[in-house]
Amino acid sequence: MMKKFTFDIKWILIAGIIGFLLVFQVFPLVYLLFRAFFATGHFSLESFARIYSYALNWTCLKNTLFTALLSMVFGVLIAFPLAWLVGRTNLHGRRIFRTLFVMTYMVPPYVGAMAWLRLLNPSVGTLNVFLQKIFGLAGMPFNIYTTGGLVWVLTTFYYPYAFITISRAMEKMDPSLEEASRISGASPLKTLFTVTIPLMLPSIAAAGLLVFVAAASCYGIPSIIGAPGKIYTVTTRIVDYVYVGSQQGLTDATVLAVFLMLLAMVILYVSNFVIGKKDYITVSGKSVRPAVVDLGRWNLPITILVGAFAFIVVILPFATVFMTSFTVNMGKSLFAAGNMTTKYWGIIFSRKSIIKSFRNSVFSALWAATLGMIVCVIMAYLLKRTNVKGKAVPDFLITVGSGTPSVVIALALIMTMSGRFGINIYNTMAILVVAYMIKYMLMGMRTVVSAISQISPSLEEAAQISGAGWLRRMKDVVLPLTAPSVVAGWFLIFMPCFYELTMSNLLYSDNTKTLGVELYLYQTYHSQQTASALAAAILILVAVLNILMNRLTKGKFSI
Amino acid sequence: MSVITIDHVTKQFGDTVVLREFTDEFKEGEFITLLGPSGCGKTTMLRMIAGFEKPSSGEIRIDGDLVSSRDVLVPPEERGIGMVFQSYAVWPHMNVFDNVAYPLKIRKRPKEEIREKVERILEIVHLSRFAQRMPSELSGGQQQRVALGRALVAEPRVLLLDEPLSNLDAVLRERMRFEIKEIQKKLGINVVYVTHDQSEAMTMSDRVFVINSGIIQQVDSPVNIYRKPKNQFVADFVGKVNFLKGTSADGRIRLEGIEDILPYDGDVTGKVDVAIRPENLRIIGGEAHLHGKIVSEFFMGDVNDCRVQIGEKELRVISDASTYGKFGREETIGLEISDFLVFPDNGEDFDEILT
Repeated sequence: MMKKFTFDIKWILIAGIIGFLLVFQVFPLVYLLFRAFFATGHFSLESFARIYSYALNWTCLKNTLFTALLSMVFGVLIAFPLAWLVGRTNLHGRRIFRTLFVMTYMVPPYVGAMAWLRLLNPSVGTLNVFLQKIFGLAGMPFNIYTTGGLVWVLTTFYYPYAFITISRAMEKMDPSLEEASRISGASPLKTLFTVTIPLMLPSIAAAGLLVFVAAASCYGIPSIIGAPGKIYTVTTRIVDYVYVGSQQGLTDATVLAVFLMLLAMVILYVSNFVIGKKDYITVSGKSVRPAVVDLGRWNLPITILVGAFAFIVVILPFATVFMTSFTVNMGKSLFAAGNMTTKYWGIIFSRKSIIKSFRNSVFSALWAATLGMIVCVIMAYLLKRTNVKGKAVPDFLITVGSGTPSVVIALALIMTMSGRFGINIYNTMAILVVAYMIKYMLMGMRTVVSAISQISPSLEEAAQISGAGWLRRMKDVVLPLTAPSVVAGWFLIFMPCFYELTMSNLLYSDNTKTLGVELYLYQTYHSQQTASALAAAILILVAVLNILMNRLTKGKFSI
Repeated sequence: MSVITIDHVTKQFGDTVVLREFTDEFKEGEFITLLGPSGCGKTTMLRMIAGFEKPSSGEIRIDGDLVSSRDVLVPPEERGIGMVFQSYAVWPHMNVFDNVAYPLKIRKRPKEEIREKVERILEIVHLSRFAQRMPSELSGGQQQRVALGRALVAEPRVLLLDEPLSNLDAVLRERMRFEIKEIQKKLGINVVYVTHDQSEAMTMSDRVFVINSGIIQQVDSPVNIYRKPKNQFVADFVGKVNFLKGTSADGRIRLEGIEDILPYDGDVTGKVDVAIRPENLRIIGGEAHLHGKIVSEFFMGDVNDCRVQIGEKELRVISDASTYGKFGREETIGLEISDFLVFPDNGEDFDEILT
């Protein structure tokens, strides 16, 4: 009797969550595909033929693939040595470097674009001017408004994805695999190439694909850097088409979005099911200090090199954003007479529309994180602890949702949630919350799943034998033990939602403008200084949230 | 065949000393076992011989060449040592042949020679049929033998084994003991073997080093370690033992809380710990060294494993099977002692550790 009852609850929960995902994720995405192939009522590739007949669209495709590919290659080439140096050698200041490299992961990408715009502007870029003076050059050495500039910013912002993936795999690798090679007579370098790298290849490939997808579906960076330089990518093109507003514009956007979606899905499939199967990395039962390679006399030169990289890629952009927020005339040095002001900081704390956007961002992120975690906790539990039929379906859908480019999610929601099919949440905060959940729930899901996997089932069985029903066991045993991970998962959903730009930019209305959108509008149309002040404020807030998360989870989680 | 000289080697991580003043010489072709509970420093010693850890002070020499000291550290790859890791560390991206051939490839031996040597080694470790298999297609025992083959193929001066049998099931473990010993005899190679399992130490070693909390307790042959343990820890860790406290004087030991008096002609006097192994106690009907009542008994087939209450103490007795069920719970029985050890009382209560 009791047994039957608990089974029913599980089933209702699963059905509820699957229902939510079906309505708000599967249906919109499928409709997008349908719309692209059946624009005229029956199957045709006409829309494709039409859209790809524009030379500009081809350029977009080429730009997207080219910049993403280069970012992937450079990202991995940077991330692997860094991960190895930080994780496996006696490099000076390894901990600080790790924090610096990982930090970028939690920063909105458009902040990087804003900073590099200031640094490498072809006429007044701070770094450009500096280099020109030092080397006595005739012209400016760099121009950010180029494909190269775009690749540079994409790489500096997405290599942390590869760094984190590769570092994690390196940490998990049983160090005795490398020691066995050393004792067999191989030098540290030989070991690196014959054992470490071959073992890590699947992780390296997965890391590369992650960078590729992130760079290809990025909107913030190409919209800030590409637009002035007239370098369009698929994402910026889609947003432009949506802004056109006509049915024709929407159809064109759909066709481009379908291309991006299919690209992302293929890569998601490859990295999860093809590479994932080949993963050699095994967790050794024994916790051994990983073998540390002594860099010897190379230590200092390499430390300086890594330090220079960290300074250029991490510290310089952040410092630039902070300094810009205090500068009156951006053509002059911040330290020139009368060129320093706190005016822009005053603006962001007083202007009504900014305060309202802040409130919108906080509330939508709050809802997304809270609802998202409820879904994640239930799903993670069902996935790991029960044999309920269909338990893997939501997990799969959440993975797919997170792998779908933001632009595509937003577009699909616009097309289906504006009343045409009986649901009209367009122009409300609800549509933002739904979009955020679809895009960012995976983070919470993974955190909770790994926490539950680490709890021995016997703990729960003990509660069960004591007479606790399923809900009771969740409350008394599972939740208390997974609490730190649930808190961490909540923050990991909250933070990216809080400063989200891409989806918000397509889904906001006058009443639901978010901080990301506000910042973007200031950066593009009004005042770069105000935008910088906003960006700096967001960075500080994210840092504070990170510290808070670290405290609340007793140091188990950060960034 | 090599000589390993370890000279006052101490290792500390931060403020914690994990190994203190290890000094000895492992002779040519000797099978040495480092035995002790987990965390005693035995694996650290092994990893220092391999060159994965550096001594905080002291020196290690192999065949007279200084390989490790505070300032010198010959890297592992230049030591010519074979090692089997506890987790086997068989590379999952290479098949059995490539795993075993790796040390020879590193040494740039000709292809033909590599093939010959690997095949010979695979024969020794009974893996000839599996040369082309990937590690994921092997059982734990087979992976363990791949690791052993890889460690032996380059004819190392020394073979190091870090708890190599602890991940195997009981039957396989017992068989591998003999196989390892066989291979060692056949190749006449030096072996340093780390384990916490006393029966592994007993069956294979020429000399056993019993280590506790980083300090060597005793170095001796397996027989002497068992029969003549130097202190209470060794007696307790190697084999089973009952401890009784007492006072030794005038050729007799007066036991605490027990009326019986033991005759003793040894030279330890004053407060003492008396250690009696369960198999050195025998239950008889009438007068004997000790008197008490049987609390519980377990029929094991070959022996009767029982607990006997003597005064306030409970002793474990392994008596012959014929005594099982012979005496009632209220009946006073006699315990005859065929052998016992006497240690000066160092104030520690070994009964606490025992249970």
